[in-house]
Amino acid sequence: MAAVIAGSGAAVAKLLQRPAQGLARCSRQQYLRLRAQHIQPAAARSFTAGRRGPEKKYTEDHEWIDISSPDSASIGISTYAAKALGDVVYVELPVVDTEVKKGDAIGAVESVKSASDIMTPVGGTILEVNSVLEDKPGTINKSPEGDGWLAKIKVSDAAELEGLMDAEAYRAFTEEVDTK
Amino acid sequence: MITLNRACTRARAHRQVTTRRWLSQSRLDRLAEPVQFYISTSRDPYLNLSIEHYLLQNSAPESTILFLYVNRPSIIIGRNQNPWLEVNLALLNPVSNDTPETEPPGPGIVDLVRRRSGGGTVFHDEGNVNWTVICPPKEFTRDKHAEMVVRALRSCGIERSRVNERHDIVLDQGTRGADTELEDTHVTPYTRQAAGVRPLKVSGSAYKLTRQRALHHGTCLLASPNLHIIPDYLHSPAKPYITARGVESVSSPVGNIMLANERYIDAIRVKFAEMYPATNPIEHVEVGEDWLDLDPVRQGYEELKSRDWTFVQTPQFTISTKAEPSINLDMELTVRNGALSGGTLCRRNGEKILDLSEQLQGQRVQDVDSWSVTVSNMFEGIATAEARTLAAWLDTMLPVYGRHNSK
Repeated sequence: MAAVIAGSGAAVAKLLQRPAQGLARCSRQQYLRLRAQHIQPAAARSFTAGRRGPEKKYTEDHEWIDISSPDSASIGISTYAAKALGDVVYVELPVVDTEVKKGDAIGAVESVKSASDIMTPVGGTILEVNSVLEDKPGTINKSPEGDGWLAKIKVSDAAELEGLMDAEAYRAFTEEVDTK
Repeated sequence: MITLNRACTRARAHRQVTTRRWLSQSRLDRLAEPVQFYISTSRDPYLNLSIEHYLLQNSAPESTILFLYVNRPSIIIGRNQNPWLEVNLALLNPVSNDTPETEPPGPGIVDLVRRRSGGGTVFHDEGNVNWTVICPPKEFTRDKHAEMVVRALRSCGIERSRVNERHDIVLDQGTRGADTELEDTHVTPYTRQAAGVRPLKVSGSAYKLTRQRALHHGTCLLASPNLHIIPDYLHSPAKPYITARGVESVSSPVGNIMLANERYIDAIRVKFAEMYPATNPIEHVEVGEDWLDLDPVRQGYEELKSRDWTFVQTPQFTISTKAEPSINLDMELTVRNGALSGGTLCRRNGEKILDLSEQLQGQRVQDVDSWSVTVSNMFEGIATAEARTLAAWLDTMLPVYGRHNSK
């Protein structure tokens, strides 16, 4: 919005009289300036509001897959799993272009002297692996559902995504597992 | 059951086949039983680990298995470890070098094996009895079966034994203090008195977790005749010069429990049966070389024996002469998937002389027959004297191992 980019005090004051959603769409520069003046934007919306956010689904083996783009879906292990594993000291990643079936072991992590298989939630082709984990395996613990993604997969059968749990169902599932 | 006509030679041959088939069938049936107990008659570490892996992959998901085995002298490194960093490879083939005789004598030929579970490096010999428990993941904890082994040891009078915070089994040293709870397998009457005196490790644990099963295996030093030289085998001269991804061992002083194998095996059997009561008292089943009949066991066996699994599986590492004051050059090599992937040769002041030649990119370290020849090819145009110095250094750090009797 042109008025927002102006950056003068008057423009900002005028902006403040508009409904909150205006501020949510302002540029980062504008936001920082406003924040410096202790003016909080009323609606704390992501700056990527225009793009579709990640949509995670989960398996009973505690893996997640971001189904927002099945042509290149990120997969990883859940926060619950990362906590259970302990400090990850090494990650074995799959080889790019490998064809996998749902449930195949696509890699392994080592933590607390344990080599743990990581299974893929869906079948498909491995497109990319997260090489950050080769040097910084602890990223899985710091951000298991973000920067600690393991690989990107081209989903071969979208129907396999149907059977997975959404975040709510997965949360309930882990609570049930804990009380067993 | 197939009835046999003994009069006919063809039937005799047929009987051999059916006997083997019957054994296989009963073997398969056994894998479905809720509680199973196996003891190996083989001393071959590659075979024992392959049988163990087969049990992991093929036993019924709800079953619990105990497997005991003893290996001939061998060094077992973890799945994600670096053999050049963990092991003194030059010592492994005493026939091919001038290692001085020790008194008492050393273990002779020592195998090098990379196992499939995580963790660090251990030394196996006939005085060490390995134990494995495979169970369903929901029953698994990292301490549970180490605690079982401690109960077995304590039932033999080894009251200094306990599980430590690394899930290993140690013998507390020092004088005896007040009694502690017998059921508490994490503390002994010696623990508090032992301030400043390190306990002796007698068992190390490692694990492999799959979707359906959890495997915990550990060593148990009962009466190894090789304690005095294990440290030499597990100390690599290359350690100060290697920076590695993967997993490094945590070194601990070790000791013998001083218990006979049979007593120990009986005690484990009893404690296992207490934890997992079966409808029939568990008789152990012997396993051994006949299990190589099973394709997955044979395939696993070949894989564990392969130099690729032992060396190519090594996580990426760099080796550098920087910390070596007697060499007037900075050579740094990067090894990825067991092969040279990059390298530089620089003067000590940082001025670069040469890069690793294209031709030697991908040269597997395990396949090097002679570093003198290889170094000249690695850095084209390198001065003869410099090549000789670096080759001699590499001969010590990345010794040529097993090239003449490799599979």
